[in-house]
Amino acid sequence: MAEPKTAEAEELMSAYLDEQLAPEEAARVEKLLAESPEAREELTGLQSMLKLVKGLPEVEAPPDFYEKVAKKIRRKRLLGGEGLWLLALPFQVLSVVLILVVAVTYMLLHLDADPSGQLEKDPTVQPPQPPASPAADPGHPAAPR
Amino acid sequence: MHLQEPCVDGVVWTTVSRVTDPDLRAPPSPRVEALIAEVVEPDEPEPAVAIDNPNLTPEQREEAAKRAEQDRRDRRLVRRLKEGDERAFQELVQTYQNRIFGLMLRMISNRQEAEDLAQEVFIIVYRAIGSYRGEGRFYTWLYRIASNTCKNRIKYLKGRNFHRSVEIDETPQAQLPASDGGSIVSMQSQVPGPEQAAEGTRMEKVIQRELAALDPEHRLLIVLRDVQGLTYQDIIRITGLQEGTLKSRLHRARLALKERLQPYLR
Repeated sequence: MAEPKTAEAEELMSAYLDEQLAPEEAARVEKLLAESPEAREELTGLQSMLKLVKGLPEVEAPPDFYEKVAKKIRRKRLLGGEGLWLLALPFQVLSVVLILVVAVTYMLLHLDADPSGQLEKDPTVQPPQPPASPAADPGHPAAPR
Repeated sequence: MHLQEPCVDGVVWTTVSRVTDPDLRAPPSPRVEALIAEVVEPDEPEPAVAIDNPNLTPEQREEAAKRAEQDRRDRRLVRRLKEGDERAFQELVQTYQNRIFGLMLRMISNRQEAEDLAQEVFIIVYRAIGSYRGEGRFYTWLYRIASNTCKNRIKYLKGRNFHRSVEIDETPQAQLPASDGGSIVSMQSQVPGPEQAAEGTRMEKVIQRELAALDPEHRLLIVLRDVQGLTYQDIIRITGLQEGTLKSRLHRARLALKERLQPYLR
């Protein structure tokens, strides 16, 4: 396990590479490098890795980047305001009415076309008898004598 | 796969739109207030760049002068933007779009997601510019919003098991290190040509893949320092880290990345 001072000097290695150390800190790192082959190897590894990472190409935003930002701002400003709701109200009412009309029409057409929707006669039920004619019932008070 | 979650965008948008938009007078809810505090932080006063410092090398002096000029330009643009000049906003976006998009791409590893996120950052800036007091540099304020937005999104995507879509050449030959016949080149030392360009692209994907495997905090430091070349002082202002913490954490991040890239180093 590395001694505390060595570990501390190791932690400063990156800042040493970046030339961000005070002279006394830099001296500590240099002492460590002079004494330790592992530290030198680590420093070389870090340098190679940094060379790769710093070589990453710069990326460019798409050419229409600003236009997209401006469009989103306009859209969200519109959505955030109250004007849109009022503007959209007639269309919302119209949409609801249209949906209701379509639904009712569909239901009516569907009921007509679907045989299961038709009412069927129950054969066990007797049709209601017409009221008996007074002429056929001699006991009836209204029967002709 | 491109994740587009209107709820996330919507929340951030509503949050920020209430900061400065005079048309939106309803007070934000406590949840929204919390989100504002999370993404948009007030700018802190920063020391002016000392161009006439005799200890500076000519290169450092030139860099400081450029930076001071950029800061002056940003201040003018911000003032115009606060006065409602949309043209100033366009100039600000066009000045910083590549850097913010680059930051997002290296952090998220997905082009479409990075573009959406970078756009979101500028929308936040547009809406929250009223909370920028002009005491610190616009540049670091912008980067702070960008890194906070990015961290939020990474957390969100992690919760949704979003898999980064780094396009990596998975052929066995492509994965071989130099000693085994694979072509490992430093992208800086490439001579332009079809083969070298292909190798450079492959190496870029390898680095991007290994970068994406790092802890997000480590990744952010590597991207800010080693990919984008920000100074330690700027990174301290953006991340809020102490100088000592930055030095040791950056070192650990670099060691982790070196470990992962070991087969490709020579």
